[in-house]
Amino acid sequence: MTQNIQIHDRTQDEEGGHLCMSRRQFLLSGGAVVSLAAMPGLAQAAAIKAGYARKKIGKLSALKAGEPVAFNYPFADVRNILVKVGAPAGGGIGPEKDVVAFNQQCTHMGGPLEGTYKAKYQALGPCPLHLTTFDLTRHGMVISGHATESLPQIVLEVQGDDIYATGVMGLIYGYAANTGRA
Amino acid sequence: MSKLWTSKVSPQLPEPVKAVDRVPLPPKNADVFTTACDYCTIACGYKVYRWPVGQDGGAKAAQNAMGVGFPHQQMNTAAWASPAQHTIVSHKGKPHHVIVVPDKDAKVVNVGGNSSIRGGTLAQKCFNPETRTRERLQHPMIRVNGKLERVSWDLATDVMADISRYVCRTYGEHSWAIKMYSYQYFENTYAITKLGMATIGTPAIAPHDKCSNTNDAAGLDDAGLDSFGASYQDWGDCEVAFMSGVDPYETKTTLFTTWMMPGDKKMIFVTPHKTMGVAWAVSQGRGMWLPIIPGTDSVLHNAMARIIIENGWQDQEFIDKYVANSWEVDSGYGRGTRNTGWQWRTTWGTWQSDWEDYKKFVLGAEESKLENAAKITGLDPADIMKAAEWVAKPVNGKRPKASFMLEKGNYWTNNYMNTTSFASLGLICGAGNRPGQVISRGGGHQRGMMGAGGGSGWLNPEKYPGRRKKSFNLDNWVMQGKVKFAWVFGTTWIAGMMASQGLATKMLDQTRGNPNQITSLDRAAIFEVLKKRVDSGGMVLVDSDIYPVEPLNTDIADIVLPAATWGEDDLTRCNSERRLRLYSKFYDAPGEAKPDWWAVQQFAKKMGFDKDGSYYWKDSNDIFEEAARFGRGGVLNYQPLVVEAKKRGMRGHELLRTYGTEGIQTPIRVRNGKLVGTVRLHDPNNDWGEIEGTEVQIKSLYAFNTHSGKAILLKSPWKFSGWIQYYDAIKPRPEKGEIWVTNGRVNETWQSAFDDLRKAHLMQRWPWPPIFINPADAKPKGIESGDLVKIHNDTVYMQVGQPVGVKDADLNFNNLMKDGHIETTEGFFTAVAIVSDEMRPGVAMASFNFPGAPANTVVSAVPDPVTNNYRYKLGRGTLTKVGESPFKHNFTAMSLKPRNIV
Repeated sequence: MTQNIQIHDRTQDEEGGHLCMSRRQFLLSGGAVVSLAAMPGLAQAAAIKAGYARKKIGKLSALKAGEPVAFNYPFADVRNILVKVGAPAGGGIGPEKDVVAFNQQCTHMGGPLEGTYKAKYQALGPCPLHLTTFDLTRHGMVISGHATESLPQIVLEVQGDDIYATGVMGLIYGYAANTGRA
Repeated sequence: MSKLWTSKVSPQLPEPVKAVDRVPLPPKNADVFTTACDYCTIACGYKVYRWPVGQDGGAKAAQNAMGVGFPHQQMNTAAWASPAQHTIVSHKGKPHHVIVVPDKDAKVVNVGGNSSIRGGTLAQKCFNPETRTRERLQHPMIRVNGKLERVSWDLATDVMADISRYVCRTYGEHSWAIKMYSYQYFENTYAITKLGMATIGTPAIAPHDKCSNTNDAAGLDDAGLDSFGASYQDWGDCEVAFMSGVDPYETKTTLFTTWMMPGDKKMIFVTPHKTMGVAWAVSQGRGMWLPIIPGTDSVLHNAMARIIIENGWQDQEFIDKYVANSWEVDSGYGRGTRNTGWQWRTTWGTWQSDWEDYKKFVLGAEESKLENAAKITGLDPADIMKAAEWVAKPVNGKRPKASFMLEKGNYWTNNYMNTTSFASLGLICGAGNRPGQVISRGGGHQRGMMGAGGGSGWLNPEKYPGRRKKSFNLDNWVMQGKVKFAWVFGTTWIAGMMASQGLATKMLDQTRGNPNQITSLDRAAIFEVLKKRVDSGGMVLVDSDIYPVEPLNTDIADIVLPAATWGEDDLTRCNSERRLRLYSKFYDAPGEAKPDWWAVQQFAKKMGFDKDGSYYWKDSNDIFEEAARFGRGGVLNYQPLVVEAKKRGMRGHELLRTYGTEGIQTPIRVRNGKLVGTVRLHDPNNDWGEIEGTEVQIKSLYAFNTHSGKAILLKSPWKFSGWIQYYDAIKPRPEKGEIWVTNGRVNETWQSAFDDLRKAHLMQRWPWPPIFINPADAKPKGIESGDLVKIHNDTVYMQVGQPVGVKDADLNFNNLMKDGHIETTEGFFTAVAIVSDEMRPGVAMASFNFPGAPANTVVSAVPDPVTNNYRYKLGRGTLTKVGESPFKHNFTAMSLKPRNIV
């Protein structure tokens, strides 16, 4: 018996192979079956259903690396940030694939993450309540802490210089369902 | 067989995580259960809501059982269920939704519903064929022609009984062994120890985490301190917390986030790893990081004690009142009869002390001089001075209220001396028996051991010099080929122990490596084969577990039994503040999985052990009530609750259920006819005079746990040969390019990751275990974050002999080596590098027991000769880059960021 280290680096497939298709098409088209193997983590296309509005939230040219911009989506009272993290990121848009957007409420107990962006690490947090940190290059994954969900990622799309929010991956804190609320 | 057993699993990207954007809500009439977390020692309270599929509640507060309207913006409460807190289970054969959420009404432990990521994802632990929990063991199996075949419980236990009878009759009961968890609920541990200790009477029983049934922090016991004397409130009430070998943020989450973060408490962390709790406290101006060289804590403690004594900062009033003088020390060494391990520890005049003698020792020891201590510990002398000031220097004439917490970074290195010196340091600062001034373990697992008594330790051939009793070393017994039959209950025996590749290879040789292998499912034929197996030097291994465990039941076990677990039966245990609660059953165990007490019962019946009416349990409550009688003299005594239940015509479990997530702290006492919990041990205020009802008066309630009732100061000389010879032998060798490779647990992983591997969110976070490396150690080797690194130690010592100590030095490392009782083996594992200055240079930190990468393989297996405990955290090795891991450039699995961003 010997130790057999298998390395399946799917990075190339994931970020290189499908750039011709916009993220939104990717997630909402019937092409979800194709995407399953190629896009772990984003694969649950079925969860991202129509029902989210398409909303313009900013311009690529206005973004400065490391300086987050706040916006609300999918409802007026749901706070998010749009940030050019300066390094390729999962779900990132723009020429460098480094523009991402995330919800601002900690998925542990709803702590406010406003003002906690750490540009050096492309991380959000620590949450002032219990110190959870989130990796914005890896779909809002918990770096350290207690949140039982990744930070909800706002699905983005580019049209020319305009950035649109088109959906949310993950349940927003305090919600039982992101869409179809009374 | 191969010379060395190695793992077959390898780092791969995990299955994708579902990005779910809704969670079903429980209807108003959902069933509600209370329980507590299955994982860490803190044991947060949880609520389970269960309802049939298709009957969801609504988003308005009046439409759901949580009584909360959605969406809401309530922060810092548990009034929300995340998708990971939901699953679908089977209840009475029908699909039901459950959500498992921290109890927002909790008044204790996780007050208001705080939680960790481990407990927060408890729902994902429950069996649901749609998730990787489908990997649960569901049927008994026997290995036929090398493959595990499904069989009936009846055949499995018949086969076990056949060979057990033969083994006990032919080779004696000490060749029939048990390796068991010490924590997985009173009902199970009582049944298992009743079988092993009381009925069969074997000495060959070891708990999950040790080769031997020993005290963990033995120095605390010898000082007269119960390891779990404190309450969480004490950690909240102290003004300064000295935390040795632990960051509670990482491993005791809500103890830190609920009890220790609020306020302006100062915190001193002694650990080579600057984890989140450390970094945060330092950033707040409330913390100190003492990045100690592994194993040198006793020197730090003694250096701090010296500074304290030189400046007269000790709590003299406390010492005069509560510390034993030489006459009191001598009274049976405070521990009762002379035939004890503790007695051995006193005989050589090395340890025991009174205030004057301790003072003389501390002031006279070369290693406790500040400059020498700084050199040995690798710490800045100014930091040692500052730490001593924080814990003891009076401010405006008032002593700081200091408490002292230790965990595995402390006592799993220099086991005895780190704990003796730690206890002494705390005692001279006036800690140990009052609110906010405590000396206690933080805790690892919860406290679920209820022994049935009747141990057979005297059958142990190992003896201390003077033929004094020594605890039984089960690993050693296996290595000598003395074990003929072993039943393992829910442990990763091999990966959890030291020098694990050597142990795995030996166990494989003894089982699969033996020519006598089962080839049919005929009971008589199986017996003939297994008889030949044990007669030819082999061993038969049975493993009870909930999942496949590599290599124990995947490669080695002859018989595998499926266990039922948390949520699948009504079970009880205490947490690290001795809080007893009912862990409710709320769904069906998968397949034919049964709680371990039930498996023990079937086997006992097959052995004929039930003839006298024993083992007649209808359900787990029957065991809870029977076991109560056996815990009466201990700090987990809940007998008064069972008696009270009988008085009220209730079952014990049902009375406990009425206590919900609050439970009651043991030992349970009676006052004015009411059950009363015990907040803190050793507290003089617990002395109520007359006792009432069925309460048992134990001295550790109101006095220190010694013969005199006073605490004992212990000396800890750095050059003690039982320690320094080992330390010199296992230190990293610069000429080989080795560094320390210590090990531990990250916050997001529980133990061997047995559940985490099946929780998509946690598997995404840690699909493979990390090794944290300082850039100064990584850069010369070309190692970057995300690289696969092989950690190799070509000299791993393993004690294989079983000597009877005759002269003082016989059990010390050099003599064991000279006398041929130590084998030299090797060990390696592969981990994913996270390069970060959160580590002290020269020390890397790996996951201690992750499947496929057990860091224990690079640690030597020669127990502390004083306590018979391994020194788990003292590994070493060379680091070599293997290549890039699949996680280095991907976006979906395993964040490689530093874990202490503040």
